[in-house]
Amino acid sequence: MQRSKIFVKKTKKGSVLKVVREHYLRDDIWCGSKTCDVCLQQAAILEESPELESNLCRQPHYIVTDTNVVLHQMDILEVPVIKNVIILQTVLEEVRHRSAPAYKRIKDILTIRDKHFYTFTNEHHKDTYVERQPGESANDRNDRAIRMATSWYQEHLDIKIVLVTDDMENKEKAKKDGLTAYTVSEYVKSLSDSPELMDKLALRTSDKTTGGKAKFPEHLPLSEIQRGIKSGNYMQGSFQASRDNYLEANVSVHGSEKFDMVLIQGSHNLNRAVHGDVVAIQLLSESEWSCPSSLVLTETEKEEEEDTPNKENILKEKKSQVPKQPTGKVVGIIKRNWRQYCGILQPSLIKESTKHLFIPTERRIHKIRIETRQAKTLEGQRIIVCIDSWPRNSRYPLGHFVRALGAVGDKATENEVLLLEHDVPHTPFSQSVLSCLPEMPWRITEEDSKRRMDLRHLDICSVDPPGCTDIDDALHCREMDDGNIEVGVHIADVSHFIRPGTAIDKEAAKRGTTVYLIDKRIDMVPELLSSNLCSLRCKEDRLAFSVLWVLSQEAKIIDVKFTKSIICSRASLTYAEAQLIIDDKNRTDAIAKSLRGLNRLAKLLKKQRIESGALTLASPEVRFHIDSETHDPIDVQSKELRDTNSMVEEFMLLANISVAEEIFREFPNCAMLRRHPEPPPSNFEPIIKAAQSKGLQLNVDTGKDLAVSLNDAQLADNPYFNTMLRILTTRCMMQALYFCSGMLPEADFKHYGLATRIYTHFTSPIRRYSDVIVHRLLAVSIGADASYPELTEKKKTHALCFNLNFRHRMAQYAGRASVGLHTQLFFKTRVIDEDGYVLFVRKNALHVLIPKYGLEGMVFLTDEKKRSPFTYDEQESIQRCGDVEIGVFDHVVVQVSIDRSNVQHQKLVLRLVQPEIPGFSVPSSGPPSAKKMKMDTS
Amino acid sequence: MVNIRADGRSCEDYRHMELETDVVSNTSGSARIRLANTDILVGVKAELAIPASDRPDEGRIEFFVDCSANATPKFEGRGGEEFATEISNILSRAYDNQGSLNLKDLCVIPKQQCWVLYVDVMVLECGGNVFDVVSFAVKAALHNTRIPNITVHADDNGRTELELSDDPYDCKRVDVHKTPSIVTVSKIGHFHVVDASMEEEACCLARLMLGITEQSTVTAIKKEGSGSLDPESIYDMMETGKRVGQAVNATLYQKLQEEEKLGPNKRKAGFLG
Repeated sequence: MQRSKIFVKKTKKGSVLKVVREHYLRDDIWCGSKTCDVCLQQAAILEESPELESNLCRQPHYIVTDTNVVLHQMDILEVPVIKNVIILQTVLEEVRHRSAPAYKRIKDILTIRDKHFYTFTNEHHKDTYVERQPGESANDRNDRAIRMATSWYQEHLDIKIVLVTDDMENKEKAKKDGLTAYTVSEYVKSLSDSPELMDKLALRTSDKTTGGKAKFPEHLPLSEIQRGIKSGNYMQGSFQASRDNYLEANVSVHGSEKFDMVLIQGSHNLNRAVHGDVVAIQLLSESEWSCPSSLVLTETEKEEEEDTPNKENILKEKKSQVPKQPTGKVVGIIKRNWRQYCGILQPSLIKESTKHLFIPTERRIHKIRIETRQAKTLEGQRIIVCIDSWPRNSRYPLGHFVRALGAVGDKATENEVLLLEHDVPHTPFSQSVLSCLPEMPWRITEEDSKRRMDLRHLDICSVDPPGCTDIDDALHCREMDDGNIEVGVHIADVSHFIRPGTAIDKEAAKRGTTVYLIDKRIDMVPELLSSNLCSLRCKEDRLAFSVLWVLSQEAKIIDVKFTKSIICSRASLTYAEAQLIIDDKNRTDAIAKSLRGLNRLAKLLKKQRIESGALTLASPEVRFHIDSETHDPIDVQSKELRDTNSMVEEFMLLANISVAEEIFREFPNCAMLRRHPEPPPSNFEPIIKAAQSKGLQLNVDTGKDLAVSLNDAQLADNPYFNTMLRILTTRCMMQALYFCSGMLPEADFKHYGLATRIYTHFTSPIRRYSDVIVHRLLAVSIGADASYPELTEKKKTHALCFNLNFRHRMAQYAGRASVGLHTQLFFKTRVIDEDGYVLFVRKNALHVLIPKYGLEGMVFLTDEKKRSPFTYDEQESIQRCGDVEIGVFDHVVVQVSIDRSNVQHQKLVLRLVQPEIPGFSVPSSGPPSAKKMKMDTS
Repeated sequence: MVNIRADGRSCEDYRHMELETDVVSNTSGSARIRLANTDILVGVKAELAIPASDRPDEGRIEFFVDCSANATPKFEGRGGEEFATEISNILSRAYDNQGSLNLKDLCVIPKQQCWVLYVDVMVLECGGNVFDVVSFAVKAALHNTRIPNITVHADDNGRTELELSDDPYDCKRVDVHKTPSIVTVSKIGHFHVVDASMEEEACCLARLMLGITEQSTVTAIKKEGSGSLDPESIYDMMETGKRVGQAVNATLYQKLQEEEKLGPNKRKAGFLG
């Protein structure tokens, strides 16, 4: 039977089109139930006797849901006890239209066998298809289709059918049709065996139904927002809440040249936007413009209603001398980007209360109000919570409990939290991925060796940090007869194992990078490859992709060649071991010669690089010594830099640059490269100002000028000053990014930090997917491998770059968070005085860096009553108290400890020790750096 | 005997006609009429465009006629083109007046947006009296036309945004109560007949094509053929045309109403019937 679906739509150009689609109805669509012997089923999914005890419906029954239930109550549907649900095609299609993540989740549930979820294609069944009536809205038609299918099932099967819907009108109509219909909460409440399900109910309240005073202005409807954006009244941008001040946020405006960042201040103007949302904003009149306050504000534990206006007043304090920023207010939400948040429950003041506040780990997310009956058991646990809605009359967004991760402070739990929070895919590799791995024992085949250059006779060795098992680079160097030097960089040939389009390739592309936590590594490719077959281990034959240069004695490139090869590393050295070999005058073997040659050339290369304006930046990096039994950190050390570190680095840079030039020559449109944009001059303002306060001038006109002035910036009385300046400079930099060469003009390819015209990543294919792509491009360009369509499609490469940039950023953040976590664990049993330096001066706090631990934190200058002995000089950015002045870069001594007043929410606290301020600073608890070992477990 | 023609009709009789509307689902409105061997298909498409500068607050109607090469051996190659232009010219003339179609109704935003009705006529087969049948089919197709309703939002800056209703039933109609039909009155000997058959057309030297509404208004007139007409017979022919035109328009309108009453469940004949 044929029907046609007719609808009119407006095209982008503004013309109106009538679209006619054919729609066929069938009589052979089966119902999917095992009890049915009428339908010609191929695989019945719904169980014969569904066992779900409900007080409302004691008979065995199947569940039919409407669209909103799938959209908003997914956490309920995902619970294992909810089984035998019929998902109608109408529902599925509507969900796909409305929310991609929800669609993916429901699709995932549908594939789980034990859940017995069945998709009924009611739209194509001759008895359940309904046509839209005149005057009926699309929603009403879909609701009618759902009721139609439910009543069809009811007649078709002996088993009872329960329609679950939160739409009252739909429920009433269903009752009128003689169907059994409940709301989700009615139904879930009736499941006497699983009371914990109640917690997972999404709290949805419409603005109409709830009373109470509206605390926020109304959001504009989408149609009005779109019109406003077109007319230029509103702007669209992504909302980025401030980390330090919950009443402040920035909106990075999309596609506006005039205002790229707009400041939003005060809860009224923030208007329920949550970090990550896409919002519509309206600029305030210029007289209302403001500047970011230097206050550090966190939502306090027991916040009173009248407290907020006060704080907002503080924010609004006039600051005439500071240049004002474009300021705006949120008028509507274009797209919510809510995800699941990790965090803890705030202990409730009232016992037995079911309403609780949830404190997310991410500081930029508001507290969330949830309802739970299990507050007792959840105390001291990390839990996951989902936001459902944020009505106008509620201070906090409303959400529901999803699941518990484990005890607070437990390392496994905390690691899980930081992986989840940074969206790092960390599930074990699926079977389909593992089946792509080569069979063991693996050996190099005849064919491989025919097509590769055999370099096993060369004295190649690898130099890596201690404990490294994924060795992706190895080096060699030897004198040639004509006085020139041959240098080889040999990179693990990962693209030999990861073929395009396979499951393992897709997984690696999704993960994008290996993530290194302090005590854990989340691999991009399965361990067999990362630590064995691809890892260039010593004394084993391995496949490699080699870059071979002929260099002059002055380290000038005479010739470069790329080839796939077979190598056998002579030794896997650590940086320290390599350094020892170089320094040991008695060693004259091939490895030692090779290393010395490399080291000499590396120094020349580095000199050339620095002369052309490359920057040497710094970031505080630390290493933890981990107790082998408790796995707790027992000591911290700054990472030491040796000659050999920079030796390896120089050759990797050289290889990357050579490869970038080669692939760009061969694929001008689709080469994957890496660029580092020059920061806008305004980025440097804070450090220029900071340096000026110490009487130093920084020249930031070009990278070279900056490098020179950084080198010259030394203070005799503060040896750490230069490093600090470099740390601060690092923060002025832009992010380096992967990009596709066809998408940008060649002038933008520049890598600012390395001062090179073109750059890419080639040298770490085991841990970066970008390098795998670069390997493939290079292999095609030297004719060693075949190309495939996606490789040369610039749109695909562009999309891939986008994901890789995101994953890299997240991996970095996760790594830093892991350091933070271990620092916290380290101080769990310690109270230590440490040397610190002031990085920024805030209005009510000092931002202090403790180099020894690479730790940064706030020293609050106010006491409980918000009084401060200091006066803040905004112009000079100095805090004064009596004759004590504290400014940027100044040395302070701080006491580091853990605030354990709240068992759930332990945090690192810094207190001022020196300079001494009577009545404010704390007494010294011992000489700085005095190591207190595990014994003092107070 | 007077008033009896070769096929038994009286001078003012039309032959049997078959009419069906909504035959092409992709159009905004469509109709097909078969009269003897003449087979005409008309599709109407409503599209948004900018109004003509001299009529800023009106929509437009435009006619395109296509003669299928299969319609008659004369149309082979480019033979049909001249004939097609002739048809579209007289249709344009017949519709080009304030009374027949309310074009102001088709305006969405004055000076900016209006609906244009593109009337596409397909002459599928030629069996005589094509002009009349085409005009009936156009009227039927216009009657069948559904134009989606559009709401106009204006913002503070005077810029406007069109919003299309998502309900496919939410649309407006074209009032065809006053639209003209063409009645061709052919002079054969001392008599004049309407709806001349192929044979009658062959022996007719002069004919008058009249655009006539149900209210007997003459909206267009054209004389065709090699013979001449004296003023008196022109007057007589016009009177005949008005009489017949009034009746045929009324009957057509009534039949269209009847068909519509059958609703969406009517049995469709399409091109199989």
